[in-house]
Amino acid sequence: MTSRRLFEAAAYALFIALILAAPSVLGEFWLNRIAKYLVFGMLGVAICLSWGYAGILNLGQGLFFGIGAYMMAMSLKLASTTSQQAASDTPIPDFMFWNAEPGADQELCCITKSSFLWIPFQSEWFGLAMAVIAPTLIAAGLGAIVFRKRISGVFISIIMLALVLLVRLLIINNQPLTNGFNGLTDLGSFTVGGLVFDNFSKATYYAVAVALSVSLIGARLLVETRAGLVLQAVRDDANRARYLGFDVPTFQTFFFSVSAAIAGVAGLLYVNVAQFASPTFMDLSFSITMVVWAAVGGRNSLLGACIGAILINMMEAGMSETQALVESWRAIIGVVFIAVVLFLPRGLAGLADDLLNALTRRRAPSPVDIPVTSSRGGA
Amino acid sequence: MAAAALTLDGLGVEFSGFKAVSKVSTVIEEGELRVLLGANGAGKTTLMDLISGRTRSTEGRVFLFDREITNREEFVIARAGLGRKFQIPSVFKDLSVRRNLLVAACPSRGVFSNLRFGFPSATRDRVEDVLELTGLTEAADDIAANLSHGQTQWLELGLLIVQQPKVLLLDEPTAGMTAAETQKTARIIKALRGRHTLVVVEHDMAFVRAIAERITVLHLGQIIAEGDIAHVESHPKVKEAYLGSGGIH
Repeated sequence: MTSRRLFEAAAYALFIALILAAPSVLGEFWLNRIAKYLVFGMLGVAICLSWGYAGILNLGQGLFFGIGAYMMAMSLKLASTTSQQAASDTPIPDFMFWNAEPGADQELCCITKSSFLWIPFQSEWFGLAMAVIAPTLIAAGLGAIVFRKRISGVFISIIMLALVLLVRLLIINNQPLTNGFNGLTDLGSFTVGGLVFDNFSKATYYAVAVALSVSLIGARLLVETRAGLVLQAVRDDANRARYLGFDVPTFQTFFFSVSAAIAGVAGLLYVNVAQFASPTFMDLSFSITMVVWAAVGGRNSLLGACIGAILINMMEAGMSETQALVESWRAIIGVVFIAVVLFLPRGLAGLADDLLNALTRRRAPSPVDIPVTSSRGGA
Repeated sequence: MAAAALTLDGLGVEFSGFKAVSKVSTVIEEGELRVLLGANGAGKTTLMDLISGRTRSTEGRVFLFDREITNREEFVIARAGLGRKFQIPSVFKDLSVRRNLLVAACPSRGVFSNLRFGFPSATRDRVEDVLELTGLTEAADDIAANLSHGQTQWLELGLLIVQQPKVLLLDEPTAGMTAAETQKTARIIKALRGRHTLVVVEHDMAFVRAIAERITVLHLGQIIAEGDIAHVESHPKVKEAYLGSGGIH
């Protein structure tokens, strides 16, 4: 038990040391790329928290990622030089001119019908804060309704799936407010004092690496608390927990909101790294892809799910850029997924766990056999 | 006379015209061990559902000591001091036996009050005591899903004991058990007598004889007899209800 904990702590430390040391080895092109993968790693953490620990398979995590991304992108759009050119007191996104009401006042308040919603986003801190607050509040409100109604299992998956598609449609259909299908592009950079978080800068990479480390350690500590233990109990048997006196929906809602907050932070970081926000963030395929990352990495392990996301994205990039595999890389990745699901139901983390078990057992000098039944212990 | 721990006052429920339980009134005293007896469909489990908040009653009231708990939410009733064991044992199957008990031992029940690490040493000691009492010390680090049926039943009993409810409802605690397991369960339940007020639903007459003080017999949703074993066995209404099967075995 203790040797396992030691190994786990070492794995976390090693991973965090690796991502923090990367800038001393890699050039800016690769840093920007790895930063994107680390953002996806955060999504892996968010999925693991809700799926692995709370038992809520969210097929619409892209909703929280997308909202986080858009909140941040709105501020960065206003900070962009393309928005400063107008002869008005307030910056106005270029697409609003193209969508302006005939004869409308050329100010942010009234150039299009709903453009006033952009006014507070002139402060980049407002955009940053909303990127975390909005997904968290939406998740809390949703959770309060859905979990109170004791909706569970596949029904939550369906609700989330429908919801992410609904919001995607709303964004696409509100061209004057969101630039619709084109998304928000030509963004400025987040600036604190003299420090510009340019997408190719080390500062941006470090921001992502630190955010990932913090959310990874934070989530791991959170599930280690008594509340985290109760959450796992709720996942296994909500009814039993209820009859022990736990108000089940509050636990589910709390952790669902934390998961949404992490996804929101991932969204805002992605915008800083990739310099755009797009309705494709709320494509169904993207939300499902996140679940696949977590499944491959191991949905019961936060670090596993995070590494799963990073590895798959690296593999995809590596293969899609290899001449010989240009045609077949998608098929190869598909086969890898199927193989993992068939042969490693607990993902890469489960594999690591089994290896560790085998090692410690061989080393154990005790003549008394460890009972076979304990070999299924999760990480 | 001891205080009334659980008072049912004309409790009943109607499912679209069908009265599953009707006008059940009884007083269970503090420290008493009451057995609920009745054939299949007599309304025993429904009665437990009504008391514990799983099913909303359509008539009558329930009191836990002085507090009315009629139709409150399950977790509110549980916090008021009512524990329930289900007919089909339900435990947290992916957690180890000890962690199962620690969940029940949480010093508080809210999310934010539990955002801290570890358990007070008194709580840990209590969990070890209950592991001892239920004979699960050896299996403490096993995952609950890997326990035998009997062990799972004892673990669920253990959850309730750790929870320290004032009144315990046990729905067929020996269902599916071997004779030896049944005896052990009887020992555990006897050990609880005096510390908790117990209401046990049971079919197994050998087990009932081993533990019972007072018996309440339900038939078609109503109480037809109440008293000690001798009284109940000789009661004409009970004989009438069980005539087809030749009395209670």
